[in-house]
Amino acid sequence: MQFELQNVEKFYQMSEENKVFGAKDINLSIHEGDFMALVGPSGSGKTTVLNLIAGLILPSGGKLFHAKNEITSFSLEERTQHRLEYMGFIFQDYQLLPVLTVHENIEFPLQLKNFAKKEISERVEWALEQVGLKGYGKRFPKQLSGGQQQRVSIARAIAGKPQLILADEPTANLDTKTAQEIIELFKKLNQDYRLTFIFSTHDQRLIDQVKTVLYIKDGQIIETKKH
Amino acid sequence: MRAFLFLLKFSYRNLWRSPKRTMIMVLSLALASGFIIWDLNFANSGSKEVMKGFLSQYAGRYQITRPDYYEVANSKLFNNYKVMSDEEVADKSLFATSTRRVTAPVFLSGEKKTLGVLMTGIEVASELRLTKLSDAVSKGEFLSPAGSKEIILGKRLAERLDVRIGGEVAVIGQALDGSVANDLYRVRGFLDFGGGDLEDTLAFTQIASAQEFLVMDPGQYHQLVQFDMTNENLPKIEGLRAWTWQELIPEIGVSVSFVDNFTWIVSIIIVMVISLGLANTLMITFFEREKEFESLNILGAKASWVAWSLLIEVTILGTFSMILGCLIGHAATTLCSHYPINLELFTNGKAIIMGGMTIKPLVKFYPMAQYYWQVPLMMFCFLALSMIYPLIRVMKRSKNAV
Repeated sequence: MQFELQNVEKFYQMSEENKVFGAKDINLSIHEGDFMALVGPSGSGKTTVLNLIAGLILPSGGKLFHAKNEITSFSLEERTQHRLEYMGFIFQDYQLLPVLTVHENIEFPLQLKNFAKKEISERVEWALEQVGLKGYGKRFPKQLSGGQQQRVSIARAIAGKPQLILADEPTANLDTKTAQEIIELFKKLNQDYRLTFIFSTHDQRLIDQVKTVLYIKDGQIIETKKH
Repeated sequence: MRAFLFLLKFSYRNLWRSPKRTMIMVLSLALASGFIIWDLNFANSGSKEVMKGFLSQYAGRYQITRPDYYEVANSKLFNNYKVMSDEEVADKSLFATSTRRVTAPVFLSGEKKTLGVLMTGIEVASELRLTKLSDAVSKGEFLSPAGSKEIILGKRLAERLDVRIGGEVAVIGQALDGSVANDLYRVRGFLDFGGGDLEDTLAFTQIASAQEFLVMDPGQYHQLVQFDMTNENLPKIEGLRAWTWQELIPEIGVSVSFVDNFTWIVSIIIVMVISLGLANTLMITFFEREKEFESLNILGAKASWVAWSLLIEVTILGTFSMILGCLIGHAATTLCSHYPINLELFTNGKAIIMGGMTIKPLVKFYPMAQYYWQVPLMMFCFLALSMIYPLIRVMKRSKNAV
């Protein structure tokens, strides 16, 4: 598995002469087992890069490949299907579906993938066990704390065993203790199952734990550090 | 199937996210559709009852005549020379609910004045059994079945001719053999049609007297007027023609048709207003969830999946509402079928005068089966229309993500 961004840029044409770059000249390879953080101030382009990798937005220039397939040539529907097949998402504000139980929330992408009932059940139970929420399946999101909701969000992202998990500021809404627990959970999942993570974050504790840190400023990767 | 059930569960639960809002939407749709069903049944039953009252007074549901007795373009013009007889009517069962009539345009002369009127010879016994014409006699008596050369006149006509009960009037006309016909008739009663024009123009006598006046064979007549109000079908009789009341009194037919159509128009307007309000509520509901739709898309749900979930949500909403609406509409209709509504409630207690005749109907409701699918279908059509904009937003939002 390899996600590769080649000279990717995304700009917004504000006027004839004025372009605002969300991402500029991004060259990046993501390999299996990578544990990577995009770090930079607000508005630096971290989320834009995540959105580009996810195929949520198309680049203005450059190309994005996954296993030799050029994602940038995919249609909207194909990119949605590609995301479903190969990626998991963790949101800053969890984005759990309030009308579904914990079990059903985790089940949601698996249902979209048309997995068999038995496999769905096994994967959900496995994911709940990984995030330490076994026995919480029948609860609704509003019955959980913020940290527990983020764990459900993680379980939902990993249940499909995707090749890449994208997390946008995953610890930003959590208290220190819970954030630390979530970071440990990411680390454990990366180590035990070689799940590939790429985060956008400000959280120094998370930055200290990742293997690769990409510093972004004005849409450009200005520095890469490996731990 | 499993994926669809998941989608169904998701949509159903989304519908009840805001129970109060959903209940208000369900109730507004249910009450609107219930009211429309009741209203349509009211208009339909009202028309039927009014027409039943009107037609059974004198006009009948249809008339069988020779095909060229009435002019096709103007049923007020008729040809007295086109007579028929019982032998020409193959279906003898029609006679049980019909009455024979002879018509003649004549001059009626009182002591000081002569006026042109339409004199109709009627079978008195049949008229008493089948029609309510005798109810219109306000002074004097109705024609006697065994009598002859008696005449009853419209009240205003009698006033204009200055004749009294028991007095005589001279009738002058043209017999069917072309000769001048004239005879004296004794005035037996006056007819009160609530002040309508018919009081100026109608006179009735025994059919035998009219046949004698017009030099017709006793078996000949002009019209066989049918009063069976339960049978909607028209008979086909070779050599003769059945004229519906709508053809014979088109102005009344148009009025009834207008009332029916207008009720539908009002119903559609009510549904449109409700739909606009509903569309607004649905839009607010959906816009509140736009971020969620975005998340669904990020998680791999295609725009069509989101659109389907919204459509199912609205379909469930519509189905609940329509079932409840039909129940409410049917309950109200059934109540009014047991406790008829007096139309005088809507006329400040005044009688309804229709086609020159006074109608005093109690409207008993007859639930019409077709309204129980037509109204929900109309509601669903407008619900579908109210979904267009939210769906465009969902699809557009998905494209905007590019």
